[in-house]
Amino acid sequence: MHLFRDVLDKQVEDREGERMGRVDAIVVEIRDGRPPRVAHLELGFVPLARRLHPRLEAIAERWHKRLGVRRSARFHLIWSEVLDVDIHRVQADVMADETPAQDWERWLRRHIIERIPGASRDEK
Amino acid sequence: MKKILQLFLGILTAIGGFFDIGNLVTASQAGAAFRFQLLWALALGTLMVIFLVEMSGRFAAVTKKPIPCAVREHLGARVWLAPFVVLVVLHFLTLGAEIGGVAFALQLVTGISFQLWAIPVGILMWLFLWRATFDAIEYSTSTLGLIALCFVVAAVMYHPAKSDVLSGLLPSLPKQDAAKYWLYAVSIIGALIAPYMFYFYSSGAVEDEWDPTYLTVNRFVSVSGMAFGAVITGAVIVVAGLVLHPLSIGVDSINQTAFMLTGAFPFWGFALFAATMAIACVGASTEVGLSLAYTVAQTFGWNWGQSLEPKKDARFALTYTVAILLATLLMVLGIDPLKLTIYTMALNATVLPIVSIPFLLLMNDGHLMRQFRNGPIANAAAGIIVIISIVLFFVSIPLLIVGG
Repeated sequence: MHLFRDVLDKQVEDREGERMGRVDAIVVEIRDGRPPRVAHLELGFVPLARRLHPRLEAIAERWHKRLGVRRSARFHLIWSEVLDVDIHRVQADVMADETPAQDWERWLRRHIIERIPGASRDEK
Repeated sequence: MKKILQLFLGILTAIGGFFDIGNLVTASQAGAAFRFQLLWALALGTLMVIFLVEMSGRFAAVTKKPIPCAVREHLGARVWLAPFVVLVVLHFLTLGAEIGGVAFALQLVTGISFQLWAIPVGILMWLFLWRATFDAIEYSTSTLGLIALCFVVAAVMYHPAKSDVLSGLLPSLPKQDAAKYWLYAVSIIGALIAPYMFYFYSSGAVEDEWDPTYLTVNRFVSVSGMAFGAVITGAVIVVAGLVLHPLSIGVDSINQTAFMLTGAFPFWGFALFAATMAIACVGASTEVGLSLAYTVAQTFGWNWGQSLEPKKDARFALTYTVAILLATLLMVLGIDPLKLTIYTMALNATVLPIVSIPFLLLMNDGHLMRQFRNGPIANAAAGIIVIISIVLFFVSIPLLIVGG
């Protein structure tokens, strides 16, 4: 597997196929005398901003702290929790709604979307 | 059977998405100022958009990925950054222009200012996206969009000289107002290949769960849908050329163009013009609003899909909600929809290389496209599109300054 080609920037889905973000960064552990190993994947605006420009990372980090919606700016998806990698997705053995990656989705759903009538289409 | 239905509806949708405020304004301007002389720009732009739409549909059917997903996944976040920013800005400006178009059509009929009309228009548009499924949106706006055929009927009823129309299809140099001539040519092309056309189409193909068995449907839809749309836009040029040109009326405000159809439809002409404008802009604005939300959600890997209910994709639903709110605000503040349209269409032409080149590169990725990758004809077309788009990149802003 090529990490850059097959993993970085790919869609991450939870074990039920719920989309939960993209692989915004890959963290590799360098070990003495042994080959490097993928420690975890990072999901979040802050690691994404870091790849674009260090100053953007600082801005994203500041907003993350100010808004305080997400529990952590970088959600670490441990490599051992990755179930499958194919051309369409990286599937993770987690429940999206329980991770910080979905904190914003959950917050917006609860505080804004669900307060607007008609947010579920089947309700009569 | 399902495919025949898809084919029919797809063509309707393609026409519906094709004809919008951008085409109406740029075509009326071109006809009023240069009669049929700029028909060639329409023909050239239509050929380009046919190839782009066919490729984006083929790409989505084969890879099951819409363009934003594919570019970020296969070329990386840094490559995708510039197209992404440009797309968000342009989608937003286009959304403002379309909402302004609906509001302006209502102003024509009622005399009440478009700034006031923008509010109910924005609310209704949002409600439509909030409540309706993808299919409902696609089919209702596209079927209603057929009202634009009144321009074709009018063009035939005005009996233009065939030889004049045909000679307009051949590029020619202007006798005067060269800067304006080239600006209008660029704007016509910019209105035809608005990025939302092929970005929306690719997300729509994924929403409709296309696979490689849909490639024939895709080819028919892209060719005939765009060609029909071009016939309607061509009819606007012809009608404007016959009605507005002899009176030396420029298109400085939409009021001046609204009687274009009254010669053909004495009683209904004015109302038909307003209805066509309103419906075309409603159809396009829903597509643009959705396309903006698709682009953002796919870039960040959020849940997306117009067939999902808003609480299942909160960030996606919120994206179009905020976009509609801000675009409506733009109109309420009194930004002239006509000027906004003209600037946005020229910008569309400017950014074409940024939004199309990464995608055209992926069309040749054998790993992704397998045996469906671009053949020599499609690649020749892609090469010509890239060359033209680079020319447009350099000339459109200077032309806007000199000619606008």
